Amino acid sequence: MFELDVATRHIKSRRRQTLFSIIAVALAVGIIIIFMSMMSGYTSILIDSTIENNPHITVMPKDGEDYIHLYHGLENHIYDLEGVEAVSSYFQSEAALQYQHNAEGVLLYGINPEDENRVVNREKDMFAGEFASLANPGSRIILGYKMAKNLDVEMGDTVTAQIPGAGPADFTITGIFRTGTPVDEIMAFVNLERLQDFYGSGDVITGMGVKMSDAYAAEDLANEIDRETGYDAVSWIEQNAEILTLLETSEGMVYFFYIIIFSISGFGIANILIMIVMEKVGEIGMLMAMGTSRRSIMLIFLLEAGILGMTGVIIGCILGYGASLAIASITIPVPPEMYFGMDHLPVEIELKNFITAGIFALVINIIAGVFPARRASKMDPVEAIYSV
Amino acid sequence: MSEKYIIQIKNLTKIFGDGVEIKALDGVDLNIERGEFLAIIGPSGSGKSTLLNQIGILDTPTSGTILLDGVDVTEMSDKKRSITRNKQLGFIFQYHHLLPDFNALENVMMPLLISGIKSSQARKTAKEVLAEVGLADRMDHRPNQLSGGQNQRVAIARALVNKPSVVIGDEPTGNLDSKASDNIYELLRKLNQEHNQTFILVTHDVRMAEKTDRIIRLVDGRIAGNSKNST
Repeated sequence: MFELDVATRHIKSRRRQTLFSIIAVALAVGIIIIFMSMMSGYTSILIDSTIENNPHITVMPKDGEDYIHLYHGLENHIYDLEGVEAVSSYFQSEAALQYQHNAEGVLLYGINPEDENRVVNREKDMFAGEFASLANPGSRIILGYKMAKNLDVEMGDTVTAQIPGAGPADFTITGIFRTGTPVDEIMAFVNLERLQDFYGSGDVITGMGVKMSDAYAAEDLANEIDRETGYDAVSWIEQNAEILTLLETSEGMVYFFYIIIFSISGFGIANILIMIVMEKVGEIGMLMAMGTSRRSIMLIFLLEAGILGMTGVIIGCILGYGASLAIASITIPVPPEMYFGMDHLPVEIELKNFITAGIFALVINIIAGVFPARRASKMDPVEAIYSV
Repeated sequence: MSEKYIIQIKNLTKIFGDGVEIKALDGVDLNIERGEFLAIIGPSGSGKSTLLNQIGILDTPTSGTILLDGVDVTEMSDKKRSITRNKQLGFIFQYHHLLPDFNALENVMMPLLISGIKSSQARKTAKEVLAEVGLADRMDHRPNQLSGGQNQRVAIARALVNKPSVVIGDEPTGNLDSKASDNIYELLRKLNQEHNQTFILVTHDVRMAEKTDRIIRLVDGRIAGNSKNST
């Protein structure tokens, strides 16, 4: 294949320009791989933390009802469904917590700590005290780190809960949790029976959290529960639909920038090829006189674009891989509650990102080569030969 | 039918320009025999190079026909023209047009590689032809490491390597001093006699033209003279 031979000689004859255009492609590919790795890391941290810190399915009362009555049967039924690992019933109520002159609004959850821990591991987030202390049906409360700060309370202090539709009640703080998310400011836990008593509603609940072995099967099972029992079952995917759509949209937006960055590197390739074509006019004419077809002439310059692009892509992939590793190893000094409790920049090195960036760059570079290659192939051999 | 003539040109006309028209060739009729060593002479702008480019299928005429070995080349598709140039024609221009990034041997191999011959076979053939033009010891030199005369010899070897039936030379010695010119002429003549290939040379050099078999004189795109040399 003499076309490849001619193409490589052309590239070798222009070492410096070749080097620069390869660097341009490599930088573009490298930067985009870093971008993609960070996007992947960010997305998966967001999803992982959502999966980990929320029930996969939340079952709520039927339309127009406030409570789920006789919930023990439903609890057992859902627990027996395939893929379900744990079920936790809760009674949720809005309340205001008061300590001395401080007052804060809160979502008060009455739970059974053993069940709750199985659905969402609350114990691991405990900053002080034990989550299991709520097993005691006494007036105990566990609240978030931020809330404790806002109220200026410590372990062992007693706060007063003002609950609409019920009187005030005192709770002793037996635990403080810290997740690094806004939950620290809005959620508080008490014993389920205690809250039910207090509310005087009898043995009812306002909802049920479900944990599954495969979080991605939640959507289907939620639909099944919905259909089968008539209760309103919502999966985490549905609940976070807005965030998930936002992630997808931003990914689409980012592609727009990828195209711009790759186009810039593509211009570098186009530039060197236009230069080579201009310099080699006589040579192109002679190749045609010797019987080289226009297709072969075109192929020569497309090959040059491909070789430059491919080299750039390979170097860029190595560059992107190294830089991603380096970024992943840096600890960042941002307050963890700002970024879902992260202390590292989220970087996820995925093969598919390398493949996407590589193919993307290569295609754009070859497109960049089409114009000069076409120009070369359309030359009039007579004009080309006598131009020298 | 075309046993005797390798090239038969009938009423060939070439008009350049779309605004102001210039008749570069005006009804040229010319038959060229196999193995003939022919010179085309004439003043600048008389249409010598234009005629040569028509014979070399590098350009298409406005009207008229050219039969190369009995086949009308003016009717050929672009692809067929490329193949015909590769298999049946050899070109030598005033400037050697060697590929600067390839050495002498690789340059001579190029027409063979274009025709799809294997590299090892092409190398063997190219070496033989290079030896024939007297450059056996310069094969791995690049064009910038060779003299003007040597480069033109490489170009001749390249023109001959595919064993074409017609070799076309447009001022092949135009860039060379008289000694080098003589050498190149001797070489072309020798190759012509040994291989019985047809040589058509455009030249300004009357001394060189006089040593050919026949001189075609072009004036204003018409054949003004057609004389056989006695030698």
